[in-house]
Amino acid sequence: MLIDNLTGYFYSGLNSPNILVSILFVIIYAIIISILMSVFAYVFGWVERKMIAKTQYRHGPTYVGKYGIFQNLADFIKLLSKEKMVPGNADRFLLNVAPVLLVSITVFIIFLIPFSPYLQASNLGLGLLVIFVFLGFTPLLLFVAGYSSGGKFAELGAQRSVLMLISYEIPMIIVVATVGFAAGSYNLNSIIRMQSTLPYAILMPIGLIIFFIAMLAELERPPFDLREADSELIAGWLTDISAPYYALALMLDYTRMFMGSLIIAILFFAGWSGPILPGIFWLIIKAFIISVFIIIVRVTVVRMRIDKILKLGWMYLLPLSLINLLLTLIIVIL
Amino acid sequence: MNIERAALLPTIEKMKQSGFDYLVKITAVDYIKKINVIYILRSLEQNKDEILEVEIDPTDAWIESIMKFYLGADWYERELQEMFGVKIKGRVAKRLLLEKWDGKGFPLRKNFVWNKSYDKE
Amino acid sequence: MALTRINIGPVHPSTHGVARLVVDLDGDTIVKIEPHIGYLHRGVEKLVETRMYMQSPPYMEKIDYVAPMAMDELYVATVEKALGIDVSEKAGYARMILLELQRIASHLFWIGSVTNDLGQSFTGFMWGFRDRDIILRLLEDATGQRMFYVNMRLGGITREFPKDFEENTIKTLAYLEKRMKEYENFIEKNPIFIQRMKGVGVLSIDDAINLGVTGHVLRACGVKYDVRKNNPYYNYETLNFHPKILSDGDNLSRYRVRIMEIEESIRIIRDSFYKLQSAHGNMVGMPVKLVSPKPVNKIAMVSREAPRGEAMMYLVCDDQKPYRLSIRSPTFINLAALNHIAKGHRLADLFSIFATLDMVMADVDR
Repeated sequence: MLIDNLTGYFYSGLNSPNILVSILFVIIYAIIISILMSVFAYVFGWVERKMIAKTQYRHGPTYVGKYGIFQNLADFIKLLSKEKMVPGNADRFLLNVAPVLLVSITVFIIFLIPFSPYLQASNLGLGLLVIFVFLGFTPLLLFVAGYSSGGKFAELGAQRSVLMLISYEIPMIIVVATVGFAAGSYNLNSIIRMQSTLPYAILMPIGLIIFFIAMLAELERPPFDLREADSELIAGWLTDISAPYYALALMLDYTRMFMGSLIIAILFFAGWSGPILPGIFWLIIKAFIISVFIIIVRVTVVRMRIDKILKLGWMYLLPLSLINLLLTLIIVIL
Repeated sequence: MNIERAALLPTIEKMKQSGFDYLVKITAVDYIKKINVIYILRSLEQNKDEILEVEIDPTDAWIESIMKFYLGADWYERELQEMFGVKIKGRVAKRLLLEKWDGKGFPLRKNFVWNKSYDKE
Repeated sequence: MALTRINIGPVHPSTHGVARLVVDLDGDTIVKIEPHIGYLHRGVEKLVETRMYMQSPPYMEKIDYVAPMAMDELYVATVEKALGIDVSEKAGYARMILLELQRIASHLFWIGSVTNDLGQSFTGFMWGFRDRDIILRLLEDATGQRMFYVNMRLGGITREFPKDFEENTIKTLAYLEKRMKEYENFIEKNPIFIQRMKGVGVLSIDDAINLGVTGHVLRACGVKYDVRKNNPYYNYETLNFHPKILSDGDNLSRYRVRIMEIEESIRIIRDSFYKLQSAHGNMVGMPVKLVSPKPVNKIAMVSREAPRGEAMMYLVCDDQKPYRLSIRSPTFINLAALNHIAKGHRLADLFSIFATLDMVMADVDR
């Protein structure tokens, strides 16, 4: 109840008629969300390391803190204390701007996500579309980041990620459109309310699978991590990035995973709605479980090849997403 | 089987036609007065190895390339050229295979002496 | 379109040491690969000439550091042949057991590195290493060292097997057989793995013979050549042993050949232990002495089926030192074939091909 009261108070603050109060609350909200995001990314970084270690009969981090919980922090500090090196033929401006922009876009998307009925920066009528418009920028920025560092490995990685973009983006948008049709709205809160009786994971399982695969590709997680394929391209666009930006890039990986899991949780698993616990907990629990699935995929599969990804996208995902659209329309109309 | 240098290519061609289609190794031994280049050929079907030895003069060390019969001879010949200074005729000279220095002399010859100046590289 | 030239290595996560490949790319397609080797060239062949016969085995182990015993044994066998020393039946079986254990360990290491090169974030790698470590522990029991054993002596091995060695080994083999099923479920039933391996890096049988590739690369092309069968040494004749061949010549066949070889090695070890009980002779060889008997043969040539393919040594004897030792390392010739195999493939496939050829750069460079 306390949390509900607090969020209610917050909601009235955010939508206050006084513009100054509203701006103040937006800033406070931004800080809270950034902290939440960092904490999730941090904890998840640890969970991922531990989980992968367990699959591989290792212990994972153990020394820094209890169960090695502070290992990532130690790594982070170490990276911050390193010298920042920029290759001679790199485009310094773009190389510096791209990672920062990437982080800001991710943070911005998380702003738009409702953590509970009232805990949201702005309840946009077309929230879903706005999210995907901004999500569409990220591959471009990654391309810029790869291209500007001047290395050939980074360039190859960037080319691959653009090639990959055309294979998964369209099925993903079609699935998003299907969700919009089913809910009758692109407002995130109404999409969630529509799911309170029947989550869309049950209504359109095909859509969920397509969206999950497309999201893996969007997040560049294995098996679609072609851009930073560590055994081929060394680290792709990260090859020539050092010190603080590398730390930022690592952080980015987890924040983007958090973002992706949140989007999946909202579109298919009814977001914040759930019994007893307040909405924010429900959403984070769901996002956590989805992230765990992403990790399980990571430890078990080998990397796909670019032409096979294109084939997967155009030959399977696109027709399936259209079928999904048709089926959903039939069910919804009936 | 000892053969003359001039008879190398005809012999190997004949051997290859008679079933010795697999090249195991090309190597050489420096006997100071002569260098023996050794070809170890194998017939996979007959399960038989054959060793050809060609004597050459260290001061006039060259031998014909057998690349046109065995593609696998490529690296062995380059190694031979590099280590024994046996020039391989009939193929394009390539960069050194194993060594990363351009010192004088050929390491596996018996008269090779390590020069202190090589250490700097 | 202009070609892109990229330089892979010598420091790169999947070049298995210090290989440097200069690759010309047309878009994402490989036009030409030029391997640059020699970063690990230690001149072993020259070093040996300055030492007495039995001073060299520690050097030989470092040629192929993934399977040290194979090279160690090969060198000692070559010296034995030159000096005219016989190996007793019992010592032969003991050596066979150790060699096959070494082969399994080396192959498990390889399975790990293949899955890692295909981008599986170290899961297969760790699994392979874990099982390899169990075998290394067995070898440690038998020889006293974990990796660099220097266990071969003229005419035998350093010491008798410990009492519980046989029991432990048989137990481990049963465990390994169970694990091999798990590998099959985990790796071979993965459709993406099959996609990445099947039909990739095809080498035809004629090209394979012409290029002179050895070991599993040759056998995956359908050539039935295994030194253990075609030119048997020790007591391999007495065992019912069949070399494993497949005919596709692609990455997947190379992988499967190796998996089958592990299973075959497990059988060989079991049989050897059985035969060891009734074998005659002494297992322990001559103690190491600086001065060895006079050589009987001026020239000795011995070849062995090392884990990575056919290894061969050509030894010309002086009185107490090798006059010249020429080593045929299996990976040297397999790497020479890389350009031929990988031409026309995509860059991503280069690494799976490179991985299945099983490179140990120390072995290439000697």
